[in-house]
This record gives sequence, structure tokens and C-alpha cells, in this order.
Amino acid sequence: MSDAEFTAAPTSRPVTVILYAVAILIAAIFIYPFFWMVVSSFRTQEAILSAPMRLLPEHFDTTAFKSLATIGGTALSTFAWNSVLITVLATTIGVGVMGLGAYALYRNPRLPLFTSLRYGFLLTIMYPNMLLVIPLYFVSYKLGLLGSTLGIVLVMSLVPLVFFIFVQFFRTIPHEMIEAARIDGAGEWQILRLIILPIARPVILTAVLIAFLMNWKQWFPIMVLSTSPNTYTLPVALAALNSEYGVDFQATMALATITVVPVVVLFLATQRRVMGSFMAGAVKG
Amino acid sequence: MSSVALHRVPAERLSRKPRNAGQYATLYLFLAPFAVMTILFGLWPIADSIRIAFTDSSTALSDAPVYVGLENFRSVLADTTFQSSLWRTLLYTVLAVSINVSAAIGLAVLLAHPALRRGRTLFKLAIFLPVITPDVASFIVWKWMFNQNFGIVNHTLLSLGLPPFPGVTRPVSAFATLLIVEAWQHVGLYTLIFLTNLQLLDRTLDESAQIDGANGWQRLIYVTIPQLRPAITINTVYALIEFLKTFTVIFVITKGGPNFSTNFISYYAYTKFTGAQYGEATAIATILFVIVFGLAASAYAYLERSANR
Repeated sequence: MSDAEFTAAPTSRPVTVILYAVAILIAAIFIYPFFWMVVSSFRTQEAILSAPMRLLPEHFDTTAFKSLATIGGTALSTFAWNSVLITVLATTIGVGVMGLGAYALYRNPRLPLFTSLRYGFLLTIMYPNMLLVIPLYFVSYKLGLLGSTLGIVLVMSLVPLVFFIFVQFFRTIPHEMIEAARIDGAGEWQILRLIILPIARPVILTAVLIAFLMNWKQWFPIMVLSTSPNTYTLPVALAALNSEYGVDFQATMALATITVVPVVVLFLATQRRVMGSFMAGAVKG
Repeated sequence: MSSVALHRVPAERLSRKPRNAGQYATLYLFLAPFAVMTILFGLWPIADSIRIAFTDSSTALSDAPVYVGLENFRSVLADTTFQSSLWRTLLYTVLAVSINVSAAIGLAVLLAHPALRRGRTLFKLAIFLPVITPDVASFIVWKWMFNQNFGIVNHTLLSLGLPPFPGVTRPVSAFATLLIVEAWQHVGLYTLIFLTNLQLLDRTLDESAQIDGANGWQRLIYVTIPQLRPAITINTVYALIEFLKTFTVIFVITKGGPNFSTNFISYYAYTKFTGAQYGEATAIATILFVIVFGLAASAYAYLERSANR
């Protein structure tokens, strides 16, 4: 164990105490906004005004959550359902399409058009994504997809980080392994199903997790490509609540809590895998 | 012997050809959905956006768009609001990149310290949590934390006997607010990359420096940080691209104000778009694209060169 650490003389006690104090203070600054968000959603606006720093609510005031049953005439359940539906569909389609695409690019990068497609994809990442939404609006209109759930899902499906996770993974598979299977007479579909899929299971799970987390966060393309609040997801409803439907502080915090809690729980349950893949993907990107 | 070889080569070629064709067809099939989606929702919109930048806004969406050459670019570049938003975006990017990269080095060195063995995972989780949090939600929470009436930030400052922070009500402090909030949101990712790099470092260098009598700070500055160079380059390039495109935080917290002090290029293009000035909006988008592309390409070239050295 000690050879992985600085083998230097053990840190003196006061230094250790100071280091822990600093680390705890920093961690508190990072955690506090989450805590404040949840507590504020259970406190009335007047209560917060009179004692902003109170750590726990006087009593659990759930009026905000009740008032959120409909937002601007649309049911909260619609936004929640849209979030789940759009995130799950975009994740499924995206992981399938990018997994197969990255696999084909790894198998034979020298085929005509393969390299140009790789560069084409890199190019789309560099285009400011917020501004790509403007032409995407026109393209969706031309394809007749404007305002439809399918259109939103397709536009969101390609997540660069997920693509790089696949690229990184396939790089670790020796080409000889596939050559050997081909000499034994295996066809492409067999190679994919019998050799690649079994070893790719962990990376597919990682890709699904990352894609889910990233898609859940999406809001701007959904807002621009929607023609009515009926296709809004939770983050979009939150952005709309922030700017359009007046300023109800407590309700805003309640909706923020509803938006954030599912992904925080998912992340905490899978943190090792998620943090590892963010590193791998970012290093490549 | 030679007859055997002669006999074998054509046979192999015969059996290979149809199999390769079938194999390649399958590979193209695997790639097809990815290719279609990259083209439909990536390359085509980009090309279309660049095309629209050369059209007259009022005809941009009609069946017969009127092409006006470089007129949109000329008017955008002459627009003083655009000029100031460009400089503001560049200033913000430089500041945000320096703050995030240096804070991430500091956090990574702290978290890698051997004395913090217990609880290290918890500290890492706390710092990384904002990275996966929907940014709309966290930016809204921060907006209220900086609120003048019941924001926790001013309440804390006042209770410590410090002057209140004007937050988004004044130009300079609004700019600073965005820097703080975005650092909170993103620094965890950069910290994580530095932490990984730190774990791969050559410990013997540190030990020999210690034997030579170097103190902690000297070892940090002359031994550890130079070894972090690959991660510093990666993080800097990555952060450059991300912060040049800053948008959500402005949309949620400041809407470009007060008095245009946080009107960055992405947001300015978006307001042009909502104002139906499609030609100008896409011209601005194209200019930003060229800047991001130029920076990323030169950074990539630099990385390649230093990797081959």
C-alpha cells in the first residue's frame, strides 16, 4: 500500500488536521448548494427571508410540491414522463448507433469514406453546440420532425463522450483475435455476436450510464425543437419556470430537486464506473 | 516448389475476393446509422448554417433565399456590440481556463496527499457531483444563492462582517459570479483528470528530491507540476473549447446583462436568432466556429508535435 503513496516521512499531526479541515471545507462548499436546494423546497419564502441560514426546515412544508402538479397548464407528470422517455430512447439509440459505428471504424479504418466520417464527426463537436441548435431547427423542419419526440431523440442521440468511450475500448481489442475467428470461417455477424458483444458488455453498461446522465441534463435542443410544452422535459420546464412563469422561489427549488435527485442517486450508486469513464473519454477528447 | 506457390496464389485470391466484399458490405451496414445521423444532425446543419450566413435574413427561410455575399459578416464585424461581446468572451475564456486549471491542480494535489487516506473517495465525490448535475438546476440554485434579499452568499458575508457582494446587479460582479458558478460546475472534471495523472507519476523523482533536501513546495513546483504537463495540456484545450461556447449559465442567470456585461458570443447569436436575424446569427456562429476550430487544430498539432518528440 505504502509504495503507491508518497513514501516520505509520515505527515505530522497538525498538518494532517489542517489538510482535513481544508478538504472538509471545500467538500462542504461543493455539497452545500444541493443541501440548500432541498431544504429551501420545504420552507416557505417568508421563512427563508427571516432565517436564510437555517440548516433544517421548521417543518416540512410541501405546498411547493403540490403547486407543481401543473406548471403553466401542463402536468408535472408529463415533464417527468418526457424526461424518462426521451432519455431512455436517446440513450438506447445513441449507444447502439455509436457502438456499431465505432466498431466498424475500428475494424477497417482504411475503407473509403471511413476516415472522412471520423473527421466529420470531430468537426460537429467543435461547432458550438448551442449554435448548432439553430440550423438543427431548420433541418428538423425540413425533415418534418419539428415538435416531435422522435425528432428530439434523434438530435440528442450522438453524445461525443460516449463515442470516445467506445473508440477507447475497441483500441484495446487486438485485431489478431478477429483475424483468427475469420480464418475459422466466422462471418461478420457471428464475430459481432460471439466475440465482440461478450467482451463489450462492461463498456456498453458504462456507455449506457454516461449517455443517460448526459441526456438527462439536455435542455436547449429540447426547448428549441419543441413546438409546445408537451414535449418539455424536467430541465426545460425548470428553465421555463425560471424565466416565463413568474418567480416562485420555493416551487423553483422543488422542481430543481425533482430534476436533480434521480441523477444524483444514479451517480452515487455507480460513481466508480462513471468517474473512470469520464477520465478515459476526456483524455481522448 | 514454385508450381505449388503458383497454384496457391490464384486460389487464395479467388476465395478472398467475395468474402472481403461481403465483409466490407457488413461493415458499411454497421457504420450506416452512425453515418446517417452524423450527416443529418451534424454536418448538414453546419453546412446549412454556413450557407444561411450568406443570405439575407428576411429571405433566409424562404424557398428563394437571396444571397448577399459577405454582407452579414461585414455588418456583424462592424457591430460594436459584437466586437465587445467577442473580447468579453475571450477575456472570460482566458480567466475561466486559468481559474479552472489552477484550482484543479490545487485540488488534485490536496486530494492525492497521503495524509488524506481516509475519506478521499468522499472528497472526490463531492467535487465531481456538480459535473453530472443538470446545469440548468444548479445554475438556478446559484442564482438564488447570490440573490440580494435571501441569498445565502450575502448573508454569510454580512455575518462575517464583510461587505455584501452585488452579484448579478453590477456588471463586474455579474461577470465574476459566472466565473465562480462555472468553476463550481466544471472544476471536478479537470480535478479528476489531474488526479489520474498524479497517480501515474514516477515516485522515485519525488523521493530523490526529498533526499536532496527539497521541501514540500519545492517538490510540488519543480518535480510534480512539470510531470503533470500532459494533463495540463489536455485540460487547457478541453476547457478552452468548453468556455468559448459558454451559454447555459448566461441564459439562466444573467440573460446577458446587466448592461451587456455578460453578453457572450453564443448568447448574442441566440438573441439574433430569436429576433429572426438568421443571417447575422449564423454569421456569428460561423465566426465562433472558425475560432474554436483554429484553436483546437493548433492545439492538436502542438500535442502531436510534443508527442513525437
